[in-house]
Amino acid sequence: MIVNKKPSLQCISYILIMVFSLLIFSIAAAEEGALKAPQDDGKNAVSVDVKKDVQDAGNNEAQLTLGKKLFGERCVVCHGASGNGKGPAGVIKVMEKSGRVLEIHPRDLTSGTFKFRTVSTGCLPLDEDLLRTITDGILKSFMPDAKVLKLDERKALVAYVKTFSPRFTAEEPCKQIAAKMPKWVGSKDSIVKGEALYKKMKCPDCHGNDGSGNGPKSNDIVDDWGNKILPFNFRTGNLKRGSTPDNVYLTFTTGLDGSGMPSYEDSLKDEERWNLVSFTLKLMNKAEYLK
Amino acid sequence: MSESLKSGIEQFKDNIFGLKDSLTKSYLRAGKPTSDMSRAALMVNNFFLHIQGAKTHINTLRPAYTLGMGLIAFYLFIITCVSGALVMIFYNPSIEHAYSTVKDINYVVFAGRLMRNVHKWSGEGMIVFVLLHMARVLYTNSYKRGREFNWLIGIVLLVLTFVLNLTGYMLPWDQLSYWALVIVSNIIQSPKELTDILGLTKFVDIGGIQKEFFLAGTVPGAATLNRVYFLHIMLLPIIITTFIGVHFWRIRKDGGLTVPDNFNSSCNVDCGNLVVLPKKTGGIFTTNKTYGLMTMSKGVTPAVDRDVENTVLSWPNLAIAEAAVFVLCLAAVIVYSIFVDAPLKEAANALIPENPAKAPWYFLGLQEMVSYSAFMGSIVIPMLSVLGLALIPYLDRDQSDVGIWFSGSAGKKVAIKTLIVGSVCLIGMLAFVVNFGWFRNWWPSIAQIWIILINPANLWLLFVCAWSIWIIKSTGSTRMGAIALFTMFLVSYLILTYVGTELRGPNWEFFWSKAQWPIH
Amino acid sequence: MQSRFYASLLLISALILLAFVSYAGLRELNPEWKTYQKEYKRLFFNNAVTPDMKKKAAEYTVGIRQIYIKDLNRVDRCDNCHVGVENPLMAKEKVPYRQHSGTYLKDHPVTKFGCTICHLGQGNATNKKEAHAEGHDTYWDYPILPLKHIQSSCTQCHNMDFLSKHGADVIIEGEKLFNEKGCKGCHKLSGNGGVLGKALDGVGSQPIHYFPMRYVEGERTQPSWLKQHFEDPRKVVPESVMKVKLTPEEADKLTTYILSIRTYDPPKIYRRINEEPIVAKDGHALYNMYCVACHEDGKLSAFDENLKGTIPAIENPAFLMNADDRFIEMVVKEGRKGTPMTSWQLSSAGLTDEEIKKIVSYVALQRGHESSKPVSVNLKTGDKDAGKEIFNVRCALCHGEKGQGGLGLNLANQIIKKADDQYLFKTIRDGRATTPMPPFGSTGLGLTDQQIVNVISYIKAF
Repeated sequence: MIVNKKPSLQCISYILIMVFSLLIFSIAAAEEGALKAPQDDGKNAVSVDVKKDVQDAGNNEAQLTLGKKLFGERCVVCHGASGNGKGPAGVIKVMEKSGRVLEIHPRDLTSGTFKFRTVSTGCLPLDEDLLRTITDGILKSFMPDAKVLKLDERKALVAYVKTFSPRFTAEEPCKQIAAKMPKWVGSKDSIVKGEALYKKMKCPDCHGNDGSGNGPKSNDIVDDWGNKILPFNFRTGNLKRGSTPDNVYLTFTTGLDGSGMPSYEDSLKDEERWNLVSFTLKLMNKAEYLK
Repeated sequence: MSESLKSGIEQFKDNIFGLKDSLTKSYLRAGKPTSDMSRAALMVNNFFLHIQGAKTHINTLRPAYTLGMGLIAFYLFIITCVSGALVMIFYNPSIEHAYSTVKDINYVVFAGRLMRNVHKWSGEGMIVFVLLHMARVLYTNSYKRGREFNWLIGIVLLVLTFVLNLTGYMLPWDQLSYWALVIVSNIIQSPKELTDILGLTKFVDIGGIQKEFFLAGTVPGAATLNRVYFLHIMLLPIIITTFIGVHFWRIRKDGGLTVPDNFNSSCNVDCGNLVVLPKKTGGIFTTNKTYGLMTMSKGVTPAVDRDVENTVLSWPNLAIAEAAVFVLCLAAVIVYSIFVDAPLKEAANALIPENPAKAPWYFLGLQEMVSYSAFMGSIVIPMLSVLGLALIPYLDRDQSDVGIWFSGSAGKKVAIKTLIVGSVCLIGMLAFVVNFGWFRNWWPSIAQIWIILINPANLWLLFVCAWSIWIIKSTGSTRMGAIALFTMFLVSYLILTYVGTELRGPNWEFFWSKAQWPIH
Repeated sequence: MQSRFYASLLLISALILLAFVSYAGLRELNPEWKTYQKEYKRLFFNNAVTPDMKKKAAEYTVGIRQIYIKDLNRVDRCDNCHVGVENPLMAKEKVPYRQHSGTYLKDHPVTKFGCTICHLGQGNATNKKEAHAEGHDTYWDYPILPLKHIQSSCTQCHNMDFLSKHGADVIIEGEKLFNEKGCKGCHKLSGNGGVLGKALDGVGSQPIHYFPMRYVEGERTQPSWLKQHFEDPRKVVPESVMKVKLTPEEADKLTTYILSIRTYDPPKIYRRINEEPIVAKDGHALYNMYCVACHEDGKLSAFDENLKGTIPAIENPAFLMNADDRFIEMVVKEGRKGTPMTSWQLSSAGLTDEEIKKIVSYVALQRGHESSKPVSVNLKTGDKDAGKEIFNVRCALCHGEKGQGGLGLNLANQIIKKADDQYLFKTIRDGRATTPMPPFGSTGLGLTDQQIVNVISYIKAF
């Protein structure tokens, strides 16, 4: 018999097969993990370089002329020639899936109050915040994206939009807030904590216990201009600024100035805000961010 | 002379009073089994018992040796036949009435539900025990020394068991039956996949012809039910009974069950209170005379040489063992049937496909492979598997170690090693396919021929062959190769069947459990 | 040892076998229904007053019963438990001993109708769970019909006219809701209705598996599915675009009506349907039947998140002022390809020309007396390329690069090609009051007439 002639070879091939199988297993497992990893939807694509460019560009005359021309072509319809948000298109009505009718009022650019910022509440938005809004548009509100425009043109629009409000010349820009998502966001534990905070911070008053935007106060909310507005319905949709964890976090931190949504930067700790993010992601059923 | 003195009436009276004895005598021929002679005669003179020897080797009676697998499979067949006949009385094989008569069996026939359950579970139990019996025969190296042909008959019986079960599955004409019928007919049609590629379909559509033959039409309907019913209650039972007869007859002809060459247990230790032959030291025969029919048979018989020392009389030793197994079997089936109902879904509805439409569980390993390539999974690989299994006794002609479990510790090692390597590699391969898909997912427009040629099922088959050959090479023994091949077959059947049954959901997609299935 | 081993095995197995066979035998001898029949016999005897009755009660034999109705091809074994349905002495007992309520059995004798023809459930079965077909594990297509929806079974043999005179209020109101909530705007029934939803023919007799039950709460039956679907369509079918606003009571009534839409026809001798005179519906009724689900009162111009487009306000005076009847009729007839607006003519949604005319004249009622001044538009002078440039900057934001629509309407369809040039010109020049469509003319956003003509020639070429 030649049974024990080459024991080592036999042994090696045996181990090799085992290793190969384990490898397949681990690849398989890794692949699954990769698929579930959060995907950036490009909402935060504006880099720091851009910020610098925007600031450097200054208020030179040519840029403002270009901005004015583009504004006249693309923005006047809704925001009006004087930027007061009373363009000829008027109020846009949207019937949500639940049957609720939202009235969308174009932003009054003369007030200098903007919802989507990366700075504390009350601060002016940074140029890059405005640029991002112009570039990507606002989901659900029919503010279209302006990706057809060149970067220079979009920057010119930013510069021109800033001329509507005197605040941009009078006030200093605030410090930018960065969203650094901890790893545990979306975990079960974090969701439970977030749910407690959701109740504690009286969110259900407006957004309702189940997050469907039908809380007891939901019918009495008006924005800074006196227009009736409705709280967000977590059940049916996406946030206007995008529903990534970072964007939800920024909404809690910076508040939505001009609307009824306050900033929780001072009233909640950073960690608590992230817990709240976990819970709202659960409400929105964003399975890809939940663990 | 004294008889004639009695009157006719007296004779008649005596006959009446002696009825009990004369009936017994005519039934048993040699009188009550009180002596060794009459015990032996009882076995030999009875039609059903004579297929067994008058004497049985002790090894055959060891529960740990045979595990009673073949016997259980046979008893399950008997139970299936009897309960099947009872169910058949109330069943009406027409598509209008089949379903409602099955419902009636469940609801209003006395013990009808129990009988149907017994029929169903003993039938499916046959599959399990036929496979286990086959495993026992293989692992104890019992397919040798003249038994090669009987192994082939065993393979035929295995296939018949599958087909009998399948045809029975169709009869209730519920959603399960109907969609299994559709699936099976598609499987039967699968040679079309190859003929399509070769452009032969328009000349000779083998798959189509097969399908039409099976369905008696192009879609399942009244004629299909008749055909399946005929197969199930008539043709297949006749065939399988014949083959079972041949299978048993060959056991005798081949010299009974296998016994290790060096079997040497002394009756003082092992025999307990078996009824043994008296020790003879003198006389014409130095060994005991035997009453079996082995004189005509070839091979080694228990009646000559030293083997005779380890034999005991079949009556009552073998008889009681067989009776015990039968009653155990019956009890187990009835207990299971009391608590678990045979499935019966909604009435067949051609407009509402079951999703996933699954074949019966014992074919789900095949269906898993069909999901890679219909032609390979349903025709080529099953055929090759059956062929491979059938050829085992002819490719492994190593005549040593017969009758020893795993042929000793080396075989046990090979079996365990194969079990581990087989499970790990197969699960690994399935995990790969589930996660990454196959050619069709990577290159959607790839020609089907490539998938037929290279798909996970084929690769697995190649791996199994390579592994067995490698075992033969590394151990230098064809017997080890046989163990490796068969273990691989068992592992593949088990794992693929499990995956097909439990882990595949709608559209044959992977799910960890049924709870995760989407809508429905 | 082996012999003893086998002997004890035989003994133990035999004992187990004996025990379980006896258990099974006892179970078979005492089925569920026997308990009910014994109790029924006792109650019958207790309630009997006359000696005659007592005698009858004492003579009652407990045993399996069934009602076989050849014409209906049914075997109902319900009376094994509901054994007192025809016994007036049982009027005050609990279910299942109680007599059938009302006088229904007088007109529908059990021996002729059985039970499941109205109540559904599994007539074959002889135990409660499977007879009522409660739960998916009973595998029966038609679970027992809840009594609140029982009127849905009446329509198999009776017409609405008959039912309205005999107190079948639920189903009558259900039908009214069906017609008024515009269900047929999306669902076809008997050949007419829209195509966005599934056709409803025979929906009431669809097997339970026809309904995706995953998100249904409580009992997973057809009525639960329908009711929950009416209360919140997207809860039951997440991708549904159905618009419906019903109170729970209304949802119940509508469910009853929908359940009555069955394909199974009982044999003629059972049916009492006389041909009803077809009452021609007026424009308002037709509008409610086919249009109201999407357009509601026709005054609100809102982007609809379900249908992913703006539903035009067709009663908007600013629209009616410019659009003449001929144009509206064309839109109704042909529909707007690429939008949820179906073609309503006979060959697709099944409305006759006359009905469409009625709808159009109903819509046109809101048109004011003043009509806009005619303008002369000469498309031959239109410059498509120049039009494209303007369109991409000014119009594409709402109407889409290729006119596919968004907040604005879909412009890439045959209606725009066929539309009157004047209509398009005035719409662009003057905008559409009360909608986001602004006036683009010289008084508004400053396009010249020529530029508007250019745009028109561009959009007509989509």
